[in-house]
Amino acid sequence: MTQYHTINSRAPRIDAPDKASGKAQFIDDLNMSDQLHGAILQSPLAHARIVKIDTSRARKLPGVKAVVTAEDAGLVQYGVSPARYDETLFCHDKVRYIGDEIAAVAAVDRETALAAVSLIDVEYEELPLLLSVEEAMKEGAPLIHEDYPGNICAEVHQEFGDVEAALAECDIVRTDTFMNKMQNCAFLEPQGCIGHYDHRGYLTLYSSTQTPHYVQRTVAMTLKMPIGKVRVVKPYVGGGFGAKASANAMEMVACLLSMKTGKPVKMVFTREQVFLQARGRHKFVHTLTTGAKKDGTVVALKHNCILEGGAYASFGIATVYYAGSLLGGPYKLQHMKYDAYRVYTNKPACGAQRGHGGVIARAAWEQQLDVIAEELGMDPVEFRFKNMMNNGDTSCNDLYMSSFGMRECVEAVRDKSGWERKRGTLPRGKGIGMACGFFVSGAGFPIYRSETFHCTATVKLSEDGGAAHLYTASAEIGQGSDTTFAMITAEALGVPLNAVKVSSGDTDFGVDLGAYSSRQTLMTGFAVKHAAEDAKRQVLEVLADKLRISVSDIDVKDGTVIFKGPGITFRTIRNRYRKEHRGWTDMPDDAPLSFAEAARLAFIVKGTVIGQGEYRPRWLGGKFKGAAVGTSPAYGCSAQVVELRVDMETGQITIDNMTDAHDCGFAINRTSVEGQMQGSLLMGLGEALFEEVKFDQKGRMLNPNFGEYKIPTALDMPNVTPIIVESNEPYGPYGAKEVGEGAIMPTIPAILNALYDATGIRFHELPLTPERVYKAIKEKQCEAKAERGRK
Amino acid sequence: MKIVINVTVNQKNYELAVEPNMTLVDMLREELRLTGTKKGCGLGECGACTILLDGQPVSSCVMLAVEAHNRKIVTIEGLETEKGLHPIQQAFVEKGAIQCGFCTSGMVLSAKALLDDHPHPDEQDIRKAISGNLCRCTGYQKIVEAVQSVSEGEQTS
Amino acid sequence: MLIPRFEYHKPSTLKEACEIKGKFKGKAQLLAGGTDIIPNMKKRIILPDSLISLNGISELKSNSVSGKNRCARIGACATVSSLIRGKFLLPYSALLTGLESLGSPLIRNMATIGGNLATARPAADLSPSLIAYKGKAILCSVAGKREVSLDDFFLGPGKTILNDDEILAEIILDELPACTGSGYIKLGTRKALEISLVNVAAVIALEKPDGVIAGARIVMGAVGPIPLRATTAENLLMGEKPSDGLFAEAGKAAAEDSRPIDDFRGSAEYRRDMVRVITVRALQKALHDIR
Repeated sequence: MTQYHTINSRAPRIDAPDKASGKAQFIDDLNMSDQLHGAILQSPLAHARIVKIDTSRARKLPGVKAVVTAEDAGLVQYGVSPARYDETLFCHDKVRYIGDEIAAVAAVDRETALAAVSLIDVEYEELPLLLSVEEAMKEGAPLIHEDYPGNICAEVHQEFGDVEAALAECDIVRTDTFMNKMQNCAFLEPQGCIGHYDHRGYLTLYSSTQTPHYVQRTVAMTLKMPIGKVRVVKPYVGGGFGAKASANAMEMVACLLSMKTGKPVKMVFTREQVFLQARGRHKFVHTLTTGAKKDGTVVALKHNCILEGGAYASFGIATVYYAGSLLGGPYKLQHMKYDAYRVYTNKPACGAQRGHGGVIARAAWEQQLDVIAEELGMDPVEFRFKNMMNNGDTSCNDLYMSSFGMRECVEAVRDKSGWERKRGTLPRGKGIGMACGFFVSGAGFPIYRSETFHCTATVKLSEDGGAAHLYTASAEIGQGSDTTFAMITAEALGVPLNAVKVSSGDTDFGVDLGAYSSRQTLMTGFAVKHAAEDAKRQVLEVLADKLRISVSDIDVKDGTVIFKGPGITFRTIRNRYRKEHRGWTDMPDDAPLSFAEAARLAFIVKGTVIGQGEYRPRWLGGKFKGAAVGTSPAYGCSAQVVELRVDMETGQITIDNMTDAHDCGFAINRTSVEGQMQGSLLMGLGEALFEEVKFDQKGRMLNPNFGEYKIPTALDMPNVTPIIVESNEPYGPYGAKEVGEGAIMPTIPAILNALYDATGIRFHELPLTPERVYKAIKEKQCEAKAERGRK
Repeated sequence: MKIVINVTVNQKNYELAVEPNMTLVDMLREELRLTGTKKGCGLGECGACTILLDGQPVSSCVMLAVEAHNRKIVTIEGLETEKGLHPIQQAFVEKGAIQCGFCTSGMVLSAKALLDDHPHPDEQDIRKAISGNLCRCTGYQKIVEAVQSVSEGEQTS
Repeated sequence: MLIPRFEYHKPSTLKEACEIKGKFKGKAQLLAGGTDIIPNMKKRIILPDSLISLNGISELKSNSVSGKNRCARIGACATVSSLIRGKFLLPYSALLTGLESLGSPLIRNMATIGGNLATARPAADLSPSLIAYKGKAILCSVAGKREVSLDDFFLGPGKTILNDDEILAEIILDELPACTGSGYIKLGTRKALEISLVNVAAVIALEKPDGVIAGARIVMGAVGPIPLRATTAENLLMGEKPSDGLFAEAGKAAAEDSRPIDDFRGSAEYRRDMVRVITVRALQKALHDIR
């Protein structure tokens, strides 16, 4: 048993009954009276100059209320990072990918809006297509953005220690190149929004977003509104995984159309538009050179990476840094050099996706480490024990491990999976593999450079004293943050969970940077805990004053006031409370004083009790360029063992078992932590085996749907044995840190390592489709045959 | 031209005039305001719009509303009674089977159809029954556990 | 996603349906389960002026096993799940496997056997086994009925021998002779919600228990514009005793008989190799089915 009455339990999520019964409202479930429907004209060409846009036919269509283009929207540049604002609300000079926004319409219904869009005539002059990084980086290639020579959106060059010198001293040096394909976040709920510009000049945007705060800023900036007049409200959100972590054009278009028409304007993406909006995982090509000593000590890593970014920067500048910096852990590595380029191409923009920047690098490296371990004759588990960081270590790129349960994670998966019994004993076609992971618990800095608090939280006690209301602008997107914060509020205040109400996801409730970089539990949780403690302190101060005792003599737990000393009588307080509540059921005489009674007293004495909390990370990171990306107040780590089967004749892989351990610092809600682990593993499994966004020669997406972009079904995903490791993070609320993204890190490499165990083949390209696996098996058989022939 | 249909939704009879090109999911959401049925893909590939048609789960986004004439439909809103959530819904709540919740309506209805036919399915039966309902959040495990708990009689309401 | 507007017809008899279809010529499409046509209309790949719903025609939904040769007559509008539940197709293992691996439970509750045939998708799950069983189709028009072999039914992707005024009404499967077995193997990426990369149905009949092969039909899907017979493989099997070696040879021959193409789902080379592998497996299943 823990010392806690609410946290660390398996409390059912507070939003679950509404979601189970179909009552929870997502964006498409909202409708406003007199609303119009919007539609966007998106480019049918991947790279073309816009010669002329003629909207006259669209404007004449009955039912059309507004048609807007860049002329109306202006050319304010926006994006994710101010260092790379490269988008405008509408294209004005050229289109850069199939799906680029050109114009939009508001009409009385969706059908009319879509019909009007089809009546907008655009004259294009086609430009050469750049559909790969090779084409885009070629000498003399046309520029997708005039300001970015060589189509280089961002580049990074970092060195910690002296890599060349260190490699020269190594007993084993190995170089491998590894690549994945463009991914889609593939959340179930398409993005949608309602923009409403009201008669008082306030703009309210309801949107399916992970980051109301950033959307608020972007909308205000592009539409030239004061931030205070823009409110972003997030209803329930059906998953995000990164792609909903920045403002999208639709959100601003809906607002602009509402400003033009004076009516609410609603828009919802089709699934195809979700794919075109993209902003999921980049295609990465990693070349890793790792050097180790005979005793297994990993010494140096030389890392080159090229990211195909698509037409716009989106999160790319952060992605390109993360792809390097996140290999700084979880192993002790003295020398690390990283050179990377993020390149523009005429495809939809890539951005952030669960495990931002680090997933493919992790897959590549963990596989390579397995190869090195094998060459050195070491068990992969032992090899990792040899190299892992511990509590209190700092990486060569200045990442500080304030808590680090890496060893516990590896031991747990080794023991629970039967690793020692199975490793090396499985028949051909069956394999077992392991890998580790590492991730931030929130970014050390906001996306824009600012000294802002990363979050604020307010806990208001109801005036009757019986309930606490938490206001936070954080974003519940399915991960369970509302429940986490309700639990923290209940624990910190000392009231039962059912006495806490949560209102979240609204910029009117404060500042919160939102749901990305696995930040909310640690950061928002910290602010929430402080807000609740602040409210509790105020109540206890009044109570102590009335009873003429010290605050330190009282505490509150699970709704009950606990007096530490003997003989304290509170009859006057109870009588006072009863007098005001005739007709209600009273607390029996012998019951201990309730928090509600104390809180009511506090209200009568000093007015509404409002507790406030806020969070800003301590100053983090080194002085080098890009030091900000990868810094975090804390780091999560994980280990995983995967068992799989390969059909050696067809190349089909079946994942049979997954054992996963994750150090989340401290589990506020144990069920939710497991849910994040299991969900992360599903995404990792999908990316490893099936998922790939495909294009034809014209830059048209071939599979913008769930039939052909294959995410795992219930029959593809095995059961996972989840193991929660709690290392008690000193900078986290109650010791908590991340789980939402770090858990995906070991999945792909554990599958790769298990696949090697099953087939004897190392794969360097994802996804591991039956065809790719089959071809490699066949090649190997041919080689073996040729080898035998030579003998 | 609109066509008049008679349809039973959640045991209530409706006479509705619908355009032939209206999908069943749009009829439920826009005409009857039953927004518990979700639209995830529009092409019958994700299962978010699952409803029960004469007891069988189908994708309501690839069915015309006019085709529902004289049929019996149950949506997620039809499961809850005055006594509270349906045992399957309750199990989803208690087992942590719900994260974002966008697949939940469809999952619950696919599970209901399974349990109505086979009160004691094994794990593989459950996985097969929900194999047309995609979930990106949970990894399916807690959903499967929730359905199992109902079949094992853990849940009552 | 909106469905473009169309005129809706819901005849209550087959005759009436044929009349309407004839009247609109190629501009009308039939609506049965809708799992193919509705998505295609939403994607604006198929844009009919009229949709003729077949769901009000009870004769299209009735199945029976009758006649002195106990043939199975399957109404074209029978849904995939109703056929799985109906049990009367139990002897036709390859067809049952195809039914069970089609799409997902949600799709199977809507999609019809007739729709799966008439849409003529090269990767369809039901046509290979139905052809392998020497299935026949009853096509109805205003003028009357005709019976055609499913061997002759498909002309190309999305194309069949159905005339403008004709409707596929029934599928007939003769009772399987003694010592006959069948198997169907579908190869896809995921374990559900999959379109076949390759599929193969095989039916073999032995002269007597443990005798030589007296009849063999192998049909391959997704490796040609229409389901293809692996005739070289079939001929190779005839008169031989089943063995692993024989099946391996048949697999190789079937691969030679296939005509796959490269597309974004897979390469021709892989598909051809997979025909070899899964033909062997389908034959093994068929043999096992006899025993």
